[in-house]
Amino acid sequence: MRDEPSRRDVRETYDRIGGHFSRTREHPWPAVERFIERADRVGTGLDLGCGNARHAEVMAGRAERVVGVDLSRSVLDAARERRREHGFAVELCQADATALPLATRSVGLAVYIAAVHHLPTRDARLASLDELARVLTPDGRALVSAWSTTHDRFDREEGFDTTVDWTLPGGETVARYYHIYDPAEFAADLERSRLDVERTFEERGNCYGVVAGRAEGKPT
Amino acid sequence: MKESLMEIIRCPMDKQELELEPIQESDDEVLEGRLVCTECGEEYPIEEGIPNLLPPDMRDDPPA
Repeated sequence: MRDEPSRRDVRETYDRIGGHFSRTREHPWPAVERFIERADRVGTGLDLGCGNARHAEVMAGRAERVVGVDLSRSVLDAARERRREHGFAVELCQADATALPLATRSVGLAVYIAAVHHLPTRDARLASLDELARVLTPDGRALVSAWSTTHDRFDREEGFDTTVDWTLPGGETVARYYHIYDPAEFAADLERSRLDVERTFEERGNCYGVVAGRAEGKPT
Repeated sequence: MKESLMEIIRCPMDKQELELEPIQESDDEVLEGRLVCTECGEEYPIEEGIPNLLPPDMRDDPPA
């Protein structure tokens, strides 16, 4: 594996592991369920980095229309399968989080869970947060999460880049890129983006931020 | 994809509106087709009901 993976490499990784990966991601995360269940009903909900759409499924009860966006086609095929099996409505779309194909101020509720940490540069991670800010309505809110240094498997205080192997059923391993955030760094990146940060917290080894779209007057 | 998605999807590059060119439809779903940016003319495929709105340099096929 090259030292500097590109976003294209990330897409290719998930195209390879997508089907197996999605079958191991059955349940929505409690912090995400709480966030969605407490949200006001909205027109459009967005699950950014939707994977198998397990969080889009929760959101289907809170939004008239839910859009699930992912970089990988094989992951989206798994999401379509889950949509069919579980019988919920989600519109699926293949796209890059740093170049969202959505209208400005069109999304009332969004989740961006366990995905931003796969973007291989800080510039790309910030660009994706700016894109999230752009598409949120003025009163729109989002929950963002990333893997945290506080997780049991890590032994470091400061954020770092790493790869974590994914083992396919045949025993073949595929390296996945992660930037593991320390909580202060995660909060700082959210603050540096065009998002308004309502609060940040840590839960089960993940950093979370509750954020809102760009407030009037905040520089663009 | 449902045609109503056209209300909110845009060209990922310049965020301008897209024009839908359906090739195969069933009920209210577009199964195969193209989305064409009304500003820059970039074309994005819809395959088996899922639009591919990756920027051109992120796609598998090299730009024509």
